Amino acid sequence: MNAIAKKELKSYFLSPIGYVFVGVVLLLFGYYFYQVIRIGSSSYVPEVYGTMFIWSMMFLPILTMRSFSDEMKNHTDQGLLTAPVGVGAIVFGKFLAAFLVFAITMGLSLIPVVIISFFSSSLGWGTVFGTVLGSLLYGAAMVSIGVFISSLTQSQIVAAIATFGVSILLLVINQMSGLVTNTFFSNLLSWISFDTRYQPFTKGIFNLSSIVFFLSVVAVFVFLTARKLESKRWG
Amino acid sequence: MIEVKNLTKRYGENIALNNISFTVGENTIIGFLGPNGAGKSTTMNIITGYLSASSGSVKVGGFDTLDQPNEAKRMIGYLPELPPLYMDMTVKEYLNFVYELKKVTLPREKHLREICALVKILDVSRRLIGNLSKGYRQRVGLAQALVGNPPVLILDEPTVGLDPKQIIEVRNLIKGLGKNHTVILSSHILPEIQAVADRILVVNRGSLVADGTPFELEHSMSAEHHLSVRMEGAAEEVEKALRGMRFVQGVQNFGEKEPGVWEYEISVAEGEDLRRALFSLASKRNWPVLSMTSSDLSLEDVFLRLTGSAYLQDNLTKGGDAQ
Repeated sequence: MNAIAKKELKSYFLSPIGYVFVGVVLLLFGYYFYQVIRIGSSSYVPEVYGTMFIWSMMFLPILTMRSFSDEMKNHTDQGLLTAPVGVGAIVFGKFLAAFLVFAITMGLSLIPVVIISFFSSSLGWGTVFGTVLGSLLYGAAMVSIGVFISSLTQSQIVAAIATFGVSILLLVINQMSGLVTNTFFSNLLSWISFDTRYQPFTKGIFNLSSIVFFLSVVAVFVFLTARKLESKRWG
Repeated sequence: MIEVKNLTKRYGENIALNNISFTVGENTIIGFLGPNGAGKSTTMNIITGYLSASSGSVKVGGFDTLDQPNEAKRMIGYLPELPPLYMDMTVKEYLNFVYELKKVTLPREKHLREICALVKILDVSRRLIGNLSKGYRQRVGLAQALVGNPPVLILDEPTVGLDPKQIIEVRNLIKGLGKNHTVILSSHILPEIQAVADRILVVNRGSLVADGTPFELEHSMSAEHHLSVRMEGAAEEVEKALRGMRFVQGVQNFGEKEPGVWEYEISVAEGEDLRRALFSLASKRNWPVLSMTSSDLSLEDVFLRLTGSAYLQDNLTKGGDAQ
């Protein structure tokens, strides 16, 4: 697992993908932090992360699109699958690398927050860290979904668009739950919604069930990806 | 070292492999021969654990590839038909990655350096794999298989894309490796297999059609032995003398090939070697022998008989230089 995560992480930054992702997301963060400074109230910092949720969900498919698609296209998966490593470890390595790129971005996004904190005595670090933790959680969940989708196709583009579709669905699922009259489905939709689960973090509410939810999504999709790779052998 | 038992692989209706069984001992080179699409790669992919068989079992070094996949995989170095190379890595980075992926415990620097020296890629170790020529990529693929010094090497068409000089180098390398490794080598090029393999398995349409040393295969198929001779001298006289020899069952005159030189094909009784007797006869009568070939079936002929016309169609253009 270690070897794969390391190699993946390296290749993110050998190709432009890693820099573009980190750069663009930080640029957007910069824009919103600029607004915070303009308004002059550090209490808006958690809200920056709340807004960045949408952008991050949009950009995450870029990180995961080549994960397995590329390996299958170049037949390099043959090298991985014939190495003395379990499929679970391979998938987790891939997941970890993409997640770490996202985590690095979130870590770097804290630089403006630290600078703002010098000029503001009222910045609630607890809330900020809760918010960042929440971001890492939905990021991990989205990455695991993206990695799974990339294991379904040899084409990076198809993987990117399909993952993009899923993230859009997850973004609008909130509104859909308002439109559905059946209470069961309405509840189900808002139960799935990443947004409903994430937003409380930005208000300083630490919700254990949401943490369990996001981690479960990761576990399920890592498992499904491993099964997908395994099933290839029986083709 | 490798034990393949009743291996069958089906893709829906298609049977890619049909009940193949063989065992390979330690330190031997097995040549896996067959026309394109015969099932060579499928067999190799199953042995290495990349594919699963529909039925049957594979044991490598005593480990079943299904029950103890990681132990079995640790025994194997695999060079697939398309080497699993990452184009955005340098050779050194790539081999380091493979080293970590295989969880090798040998001293890293020394081990990787030895491998690079062995397959002659030391001079390109800092270059991007994507910028290397096909021959070099193939060698990097071979290096990758050697990382961790596994006792079993499975090489799927290792010389494809190499120039003649490199082909000879790689053949010699494989021969050398065969002294302390079990090597399975596939090819659809017969001379290649003949040059390195201790034993040849011929597959055709998913079935094992022959199994033996190159010598055994050449002899098993040819019941009759012929001697083809060109001799200078009056045809009638020569023919008569030949017929009079012991063990000669028939003589056929193929006509005058050069001025005063006739070609004869002599059928010889099984198990007899006529060449020496023929020489003394010819020298006694002062009939210069200009050429003499024993026309046992060549491996090429054996292969063609075993695999039918499929090979002919594939290799008519490139396989003619077999002997």
